[in-house]
This record gives sequence, structure tokens and C-alpha cells, in this order.
Amino acid sequence: MPSKSTAPPFKSTARVIRTAVLAVLGLLWLIPVYLLIINAAKAPETFTTTHSWRPTDFSLLSNIGEAMRLSGLADSVLSTLVYAVVSPVIAVLVGAAAGFAIVALRLRHGFAWFVAIFGGTVFPLQMILLPLFDAYSRMNLFDTRLGMILVYTAISIPFSAFVMRNFFTGIAHNVFEASVLDGASTGRIFFRVYLPMASSALVAIFILQATFIWNDFLLGLVLSQSDTVRPIVTSLAGMQSTYGGAQMSTVLAGGLLVSLPTVVLFLCTQKFFSRGLALGQY
Amino acid sequence: MTSDKATRPKAAKDPYHWSARGFIAPGVLGVAVLLYVPLLWTTFISFTEYNGLGDPEWIGVENYVEMFDDPAFLGSVLNTLLWVGGTLLVPVGIGLGIALLTWNLKGGTWLRLPFLIPYAVSGIGVAVIWSFILGSGGALDQALGAFGFSDTPRWLVDAPLNTVVMILATAWQGVGVNALLFTIGLQSIPKEPLEAARIDGAGGFRLFRSILWPMLRPLTAVVVGLSIVASLKTFDIVQGMTKGGPGRDSETLALTMYKETFVNSEYGLGSAIAVFLTIVTLAAAILYLRQQLSSKHEG
Repeated sequence: MPSKSTAPPFKSTARVIRTAVLAVLGLLWLIPVYLLIINAAKAPETFTTTHSWRPTDFSLLSNIGEAMRLSGLADSVLSTLVYAVVSPVIAVLVGAAAGFAIVALRLRHGFAWFVAIFGGTVFPLQMILLPLFDAYSRMNLFDTRLGMILVYTAISIPFSAFVMRNFFTGIAHNVFEASVLDGASTGRIFFRVYLPMASSALVAIFILQATFIWNDFLLGLVLSQSDTVRPIVTSLAGMQSTYGGAQMSTVLAGGLLVSLPTVVLFLCTQKFFSRGLALGQY
Repeated sequence: MTSDKATRPKAAKDPYHWSARGFIAPGVLGVAVLLYVPLLWTTFISFTEYNGLGDPEWIGVENYVEMFDDPAFLGSVLNTLLWVGGTLLVPVGIGLGIALLTWNLKGGTWLRLPFLIPYAVSGIGVAVIWSFILGSGGALDQALGAFGFSDTPRWLVDAPLNTVVMILATAWQGVGVNALLFTIGLQSIPKEPLEAARIDGAGGFRLFRSILWPMLRPLTAVVVGLSIVASLKTFDIVQGMTKGGPGRDSETLALTMYKETFVNSEYGLGSAIAVFLTIVTLAAAILYLRQQLSSKHEG
């Protein structure tokens, strides 16, 4: 993000100091990343809790392989991928449809309906945990992938509807009227005209929600049990409390494996990500 | 928002009445069934004695009375307040500092990068890394030992030190996104008043106080509001690092709710804590929304 201003707001001698302060602080911030990587790469036999700062081995891949076997992390990876793709896709479509109904189709009392949908995101998750656990247990949805997809989708809908309504408000209504004159049905207008125009907002919401779902711990903790259904972060927490003492380097490798996808996704899509955050806030 | 109402044909002639309902139905249904019904059910359960077997038995406000008599709950409230204050002070404060330092700075994007890396790590991921660093004889103790400090505190055991170090671990994670948001805010500030102030000789702290801070106010309200709401719900990192312990010393409200409900099967009490947490969160959200709305009128 280079600045276009010609005159800097601070004196140029201060620039050196600012750069130095940021560099030092940045290095400090990278220390935990360094410690994670070198210790996750230590073979369980040579790993000691007394020399954490020096790299000794390069067994990262075999440690990751071992982490995949322990605590069923491999099964979790697969299910979590499904959750983190399917739920945001559905939520984005459902949210876009709601925004389309309110803005383009001018639904009666549209704003009230919008508030009703958006209100679902205002409450802490703690308010829905017990009833979901109770109802899921009675309806055989407890510890099923379907159950997880349903709840992840539902909690992603409010934010998605919020952003999509804002986005569609920026599209002139005569776009809709022109499509009607062309004889298109509302469904066709939604899928062929409005959704393509909103692709950047759709991607931004998708990335934010996929990251959120990949990183979820609490819903997975309460609503699932088996290795094949448990989301990956919940499995990692289980692995930490079971093997944190005896096989620390494997647990650290697991932590690295779980963190890498969202960190890479976030760094690659910073622009989309911050736009999504900004869209959600104004 | 006004365009929703303008130039709309009379409802009776509205040809899209049913189709609009069809488009909004999935969203309303999903939110109603999976969020609102559970919400009401939790509120109801908080007035009952229930453990998942048999039927809930109405006991009025007894759970709430029990809750406020419980020293563990009161400790949890204090810890949660510490979290709210600490995450405002550290991640939001440092985030603003980094945004200001990188603002209009050559290579600022790259200098911001180290702070952004931890943001997308899950709470449990952060807990795994920091438990390793802060454990007894862990990486931090070794580093301090090298400088001759051998009698280090037990970071994750002594309260309230354990809550403080967990707040710092959260700061490690959260600074980057706050810096990013403040950077977006700084970039949207018009150049003219800045030029004028600089011609008047304002620089450094005066420039910040008289121009930047007032112009950043709406965004600051958003960041502060998000931070408060998020910190009230703190769960993952505490569960991952201390499990609320030792004993119940580092529990937050979200953790106390989880333990009472799913460990002790005290569904009524757990629900009462959830309702309490919700009321506090809503109060905080309303306060900051009001501030945001009033500052929007100024701009």
C-alpha cells in the first residue's frame, strides 16, 4: 500500500527510527514462529525440553506424518475441509438470496427481515450450545458431519446476508428492471446478473467464513466425538492434552499443520480479507 | 437504506411478492431454527432444574441466585473483566501504534507482515505454541536462565499472572488485524487537513492528537467494540492453556458456562451463566453501536 502523498507527515530523520522500531518488534513477533518450526522439526528421540532455542533435526515431515496418525488428525483434516468449503458456500448463497430479496425484489418489511437475520450473530455461541447438543442427541445429529455442516452454515448466514445486502444496495435498481424487460425470471436474474456482479464480495465472505470454520474449537468440542467427525482444531486440542507431555515435538508439528492452511490463505488474500472485514463493519 | 422504501409500487400490485419471500426464506429459516429457537430454549432452561434426563423443572430465579453466591463465578467475572481491559490495552493499543509507525513509510507493507502471520492461527494453535514457550522450564525460562534469572515465576500456574500471560499471547495473535484496520482508517483520511496542519507546524504527537485521533474515532469505536465483544467470549486460548486452572483460578465466563453445563451437567446453572454473558455482551454492543452511529452523523 504505497502512499501517493509527496510530503511525508513526519520528518525524514524519524523514518529510520520508525523502521528500526518496527523491525525489532517484528523480529520479536516472529520468535514464537521460529520456536514452533525448529521444535516441530525435532525427532521425538532427540527432543528435549531443555534446549528449545537451537535447531537440531529436520524431521518435520515425519513428525507431521506421526501427528496425522495420532488422535485421528488425518480423518479430521478431511471432514474439516468439507465443513470449511460446503458451509460457507451455502451460507454465501443463502445470504446473497436474502440480500437480493430485500434490495432487488424490494421485499415488504425488508429491513425488519434483515435485522432479524443479522440479529442471529449478535449473541454469544454459549446461548445455543446446550440446546443444539440436546436436540442433536435426540435427533441422531450428534457426532455427524451433517450436523456440523448445518450449524456452521447457520452461524455464517447473518454475516453473509449483512455484507450482500450492503453490496446489492450499491447496484442501481434499473439493472434489475432492464433484466425484467429482457424477459428474465427472478431466479435467472439472481444467478446470471446479480451473483456474477458480486463475485468479489462473495469471495471475501467465503474466505472469512472458511477461516472461521477451520479455526472453530467450541462447536466441534460440544457437537462431535469421533475422529471422523471432529473438526481439526478440536482434535489438536485433544492431542495436546493427551500427548503434550510425552511427544511434544509431534504436537507442535500438529499445531503447525493445522495453522498453515489458514495462515497461507490469509496472507495470500489479505486484500480480500480486509475488504471483507471492512464491508462487514460499515 | 432509504431506497428500500422509495418508489415502490403498491403492495397489491407487487409482482415479486412471493418470489421475494422465497428468496429470503432459507436465510430466515436457517437462522430461526438453528440460532433463535436454541436461544429461547437456553433462556427457558436457565429458570429450570435440568440435567438432560426427564423434564426441566421450573425453579424461577434460583439458578441466578446460586450463580451470584458462587465464588467461582465471581472470580470468573473478574477474570473476564481483566480480559476485556487487557485486550483493549495491549492488542488494540499496539495495533494502533504499528499502524501509525508504518503509515506512509517505505516498505510499511513488509514491516507489517510479521504481525499479520499469527492472526489466522486458531486459538488452540496459539495455545499449543505458547504453552510450549511458557511451560515450566520452557523456552522463556531457558532464555531468562541464560541471563541469570533462574527463579522465574510459574507463568501458567500463579493467578492472576496466568491470565496476564494468556492476554499477552492473545495480543501476539490479534495485533496484526488491528494494525490492518487502523491502516485502512489512516489511508482514508483526506490529505488536505494534514497538509494544513503541517504548514502550521504540527508534527508528531500534536498532529496525532489534533488531526489523526479525531478522524480515526469512528474506526476506533469499531475496533474497540469488536475487541470488547470478542474478549467477553474468551474460551479457546484459556481452555487450551490452563483449562481454567489451577482449580478454577483462570476461568472466564465462557469457560465457567462450559464446565457447569457439559462437565457438571448443571444445565440450568450453565444456561443462567450463558444468559448473563449474553446480557453483558449485548450491553457492550449497544453502547458501542450508539457511539458509532453518533460519530457517523458528525462525518
